[in-house]
Amino acid sequence: MPLDTSTYDLALLRVDGRRWNELRRLDGQIRTQAAADGSSYLEMGNTKVMCVVSGPSEDKRRGQTSASTATGSNAADVAVSVVVAGFSSVDRKKRGRGDKRIQELQTTISKALASNLHTHLYPRSTISISLNVLSQDGSLLAALINASTLALIDAGIPMTDYLVACTAGSTSSYAANDDRADPLVDLNNQEEQELPFLTMATLGATDKVAVLVCESRVQVSRLEGMMAAAADACKGVRDFLDQVIREKGHKMVTEGTIEKGASMAIEIDA
Amino acid sequence: MTSLKRASEAGPFSSNISSKTYVRSTKSGKVQKIVREVYLRQDIPCSSKICSKCLAGAPRSAAGTVSPFVLSDKPAGSKAYPQGHYLVPDTNALLNAMDLFEQSSAFFDVIILQTVLEELRNRSLPLYNRLIGLTKSEEKRFYVFFNEFRLETYVNREHDESINDRNDRAVRRAVKWYNEHLAQTKAKKLPVTVMLTDDRGNLEKAKKEKVPATTLRDYVAGLQEADRLLDMIAESQERGLSRDKKSADFLYPEYYSMSKMMTGVKNGMLHQGIFNLSPYNYLEGSIKVPAFPKSLLVLGRDNINRAVDGDVVIVEVLPQDQWKEPSTKIIEEEAITKNENADGDEGGDIVTEQEKKALQEQVKKTQGLSTEGRPQPTAKVVGVIKRNWRQYVGHVDQSSVSQSARQGRKQESVFLIPMDKKVPKIRIRTRQAGELLGKRILVTIDSWDRESRHPVGHFVRSLGEVETKAAETEALLLEYDVQYRPFPKTVLDCLPKEGHDWRVPTSTEDPGWKDREDLRGLLICSIDPVGCQDIDDALHARPLPNGNYEIGVHIADVSHFVKPNNAMDAEASIRGTTVYLVDKRIDMLPMLLGTDLCSLKPYVERYAFSVLWELNTSADIVNVRFTKSVIKSREAFSYEQAQLRIDENSQQDDLTKGMRTLLMLSKKLKQKRMDAGALSLSSPEVKVQMESETSDPIDVKTKELLDTNSLVEEFMLLANISVAGKIYEAFPQTAILRRHAAPPKTNFDELANQLKVKRGLELRFDSSKALADSLDECADPAEPFFNTLIRVMATRCMMSAEYFCAGTQAYPEFRHYGLASEIYTHFTSPIRRYADLVAHRQLAAAIDYEPMHPHVRSRGRLEAVCKNINVRHRNAQLAGRASIAYYVGQSLRGRVAEEDGFVMKIFSNGFVVLVPRFGIEGLIRLRDLADPEPESVFDADGYKLTTSGSRDVSVELFMKVRVRIQDVKDEATGKRGAKMELVRAG
Repeated sequence: MPLDTSTYDLALLRVDGRRWNELRRLDGQIRTQAAADGSSYLEMGNTKVMCVVSGPSEDKRRGQTSASTATGSNAADVAVSVVVAGFSSVDRKKRGRGDKRIQELQTTISKALASNLHTHLYPRSTISISLNVLSQDGSLLAALINASTLALIDAGIPMTDYLVACTAGSTSSYAANDDRADPLVDLNNQEEQELPFLTMATLGATDKVAVLVCESRVQVSRLEGMMAAAADACKGVRDFLDQVIREKGHKMVTEGTIEKGASMAIEIDA
Repeated sequence: MTSLKRASEAGPFSSNISSKTYVRSTKSGKVQKIVREVYLRQDIPCSSKICSKCLAGAPRSAAGTVSPFVLSDKPAGSKAYPQGHYLVPDTNALLNAMDLFEQSSAFFDVIILQTVLEELRNRSLPLYNRLIGLTKSEEKRFYVFFNEFRLETYVNREHDESINDRNDRAVRRAVKWYNEHLAQTKAKKLPVTVMLTDDRGNLEKAKKEKVPATTLRDYVAGLQEADRLLDMIAESQERGLSRDKKSADFLYPEYYSMSKMMTGVKNGMLHQGIFNLSPYNYLEGSIKVPAFPKSLLVLGRDNINRAVDGDVVIVEVLPQDQWKEPSTKIIEEEAITKNENADGDEGGDIVTEQEKKALQEQVKKTQGLSTEGRPQPTAKVVGVIKRNWRQYVGHVDQSSVSQSARQGRKQESVFLIPMDKKVPKIRIRTRQAGELLGKRILVTIDSWDRESRHPVGHFVRSLGEVETKAAETEALLLEYDVQYRPFPKTVLDCLPKEGHDWRVPTSTEDPGWKDREDLRGLLICSIDPVGCQDIDDALHARPLPNGNYEIGVHIADVSHFVKPNNAMDAEASIRGTTVYLVDKRIDMLPMLLGTDLCSLKPYVERYAFSVLWELNTSADIVNVRFTKSVIKSREAFSYEQAQLRIDENSQQDDLTKGMRTLLMLSKKLKQKRMDAGALSLSSPEVKVQMESETSDPIDVKTKELLDTNSLVEEFMLLANISVAGKIYEAFPQTAILRRHAAPPKTNFDELANQLKVKRGLELRFDSSKALADSLDECADPAEPFFNTLIRVMATRCMMSAEYFCAGTQAYPEFRHYGLASEIYTHFTSPIRRYADLVAHRQLAAAIDYEPMHPHVRSRGRLEAVCKNINVRHRNAQLAGRASIAYYVGQSLRGRVAEEDGFVMKIFSNGFVVLVPRFGIEGLIRLRDLADPEPESVFDADGYKLTTSGSRDVSVELFMKVRVRIQDVKDEATGKRGAKMELVRAG
């Protein structure tokens, strides 16, 4: 068995050899499925998710997880469904449709996106986002949010800014009360098991927080450091997403894969 | 359609990303395949002070600090490496010789590779923790180099390469890199990085690859004090080199495989439990398993199969025809295996002739018995889950040392006889056998292989001559794992800067006074044993206008000085308790706090934590409150002084009146407790009187109990119970409490039967009340001590009380059986017990004095604390008793005393006598009665032993006997002990 997170202060190295402020290897693609309105594939380390967006389409089904029903009916619904593949984690585990953790993920993502997207442009319609988790290794919520952002851009749905997310943790556990604890960003599964952490989503490179989820006990004094680290990491993620989209856009322009009549809403070669 | 294949393999990370895949099996037997990412990098420094390049690019923490470089620029040299060297041990070197690495005279500038650290963690967690401790020590200069994360030193496992070979290769690669890397610095005196390994193959490969390497033994041989250090290399390691020399005969049955044991336990065919060795018979052990109400017996060497007392083992129940009675015979290892040869240990039969004989006799006896003597189920050990080996103190068996070794320096095997009788002899190899004779020495067990009759260990250090006060005291402390080293500087830094000049601030505006009540006007006094320096508690009582009384118990406010989670708190939580030995006290907190600033000394103001009750005249609680306070004790009494003052009618001042009130109320409280079924238990307590100057023991006195003893005790109990209720109410999950479980009924079976057979008395034990009442009835008008004897024996049937965290038990389980209280905690001695300190913090939070520190709130942590202090508490008690026993022995030195004793336990070839005067127990064997050993008839059902022939005596259980006690040194073992001889029975 390899070492655990307690060896961090021996050489300021994390269990996988990263420094405290380094993200894992990111890999992303958009328009992975031509038939969909928007699609994306994102890897954050060994966490791999796929996203397909369809819509905005005419409102047929009510009752799905939707954020706008509460706020008023003059805006599009954002319906999110998350499917976690049975093979995605070490132990094969079947998660039913009614799984509370998954429902919570769906609600969180849906609310965050609804406030970022210009849903008022599409009254009485639904934007449905289906997310598939292919492999899990920590920072799942963050990866899901990032993948949704990519797919929504691909679908051409107007939004205020990139919605980017990342996790941040702290190197020592709640009770250890170590004054020199460093914040960590982009935790993998092992770190999530052993350390306190939170997931934060910001609007682009700003410090506007759209999502903040923390389910472990953290000492208040460390929270600020963790949030600052998470905000910095979100900027890194935003730059990466931006690069993915620009590269794809560049390719589409130069290789002429844009359909006739469709227009690009983003600038190329900024 | 776009392919989902990873876009570009030539990304910025491609060269330095890798993954680690391994397979692990879970407890339930599932196999999991784990894949982990590994990010390879080039900014992991070498940490040598020679290298400036690494320092420039050294990593920074989030706060921007760079950890200082560890390895010295002028490391020590040796004959083989005159220019200085850094050491890189492989895993086996650390496994076999961790004690060597902890030496303060050698082994500096050591590089611990990540590969080695990971492997060590898998093999032995305690060793891993010790190594981590070493890396934190500044003077040893140990550096952990994360070679698996550095691009240049990362090694991929090749096809058909075993993990061990791959790890060896990784170590060689790292050593090579270090040498090349340091060469680039162009330093004038370039230290060599040397690999320490004992693996032949690895050494050869290193030679081929021109990597500097040496065996541990060769390296140590080149150091100063080589002889002493060489002894510290584990025995098994040498065998590793000569493994193929001969295939040894196996003496013990092989252990089952882990998976076989796990499935066995799961389907109920095998059982897991802690192995306990009988204190009277080293060939008999018992093991308590959850499946059966009574313990299983494990008889004989084959069946014990290398288990040592305290190990967690797996056993298999033997067929019914092999069930036996527990032995009624005393079998001592020393006596039976006295003349074994340590060197000729290999081969031969596992069970020696003498052992066989001893067992045979026993079997005969059992089978000769009528059907009533029910044989008990027996079992055999088939595997060990967890060894409970620690370091053992003992002395070298004289008879195992050859004549030549006493002069020469030849290496030979000798036996070490541990002080703890439950631990088997340990075979060690040493070059200094001659010097070690007659010394107390510390050794570690390394292994116990199938081909070796005794466990194999190695020498750690010598404590000094046997029977010198220093050596014996240290031996005792080590044996009971008491932390006795002086407090480190980090702890002392947490003390108030004013030192002994610290005073309660005069201005009540001072933050120290915040929320404190000013109780300086109350007439408070303390009552403690003579010469007590750490005064935890003080009391007061005063009448109230409504006819009730206000009673106050004031406890030293230790939590004001010891803040949660600083170095001092950490140290105290490890020590857990103050340990009182006859001539020495090992403090939990530094002296300054324990005996001065916290101690509620008379005539000075002190911070206190007060419990204030209003009691009516029949001692019922009308109300209770808790507050932090400032008090000024008027007087510090000893129990005797307090008693005199109360009894002296001419004293009519308020202080004395208050004390009389306290005494009056305490008697009522005690009566109430007794009515509720509190037990008054007993263990023989004695006090050693010392000569004031030489502190040599001169006499032994039994402790006297005065009314004032119970006065203090009653109010402390009352305070503890009140506090327990309060903190439980405030923190139902995390309150620290103390419980005393009701003993299982079967514990009393034997005692009840003995009483019935011998005295026709009935012992009822269905509740503590019934037990208390029937214990009162167990009296012999002719012999006042008989009652005490029964209480002593009943006490041994009890469970021990324990600390626990409220959330871990259901409320009915909180009960304190001995005190007959629903809920209980320890609050009144925070200077000497850590549990009390935690209770103080919780109570302070419960009364909103200060917010609860997260440290005290985390349940997981508290459970760990409870577990530790339970162990420490017990060890402290045992150490204290052992210390008294030693001094009692010393006080008898050169004297012969004749005393009355009582027979407590009876065997077919001896009996145990308790001598109340000295509080010691001694074993008298048949062969001690007369020479030649008299014939004997043992009536197991009647608990009676009758001898005939060379001496005619008849000894029964509970019988009063006259014994002669003298201090005898056993020539064979070099051990001194009180030896009893029977003068007359009855």
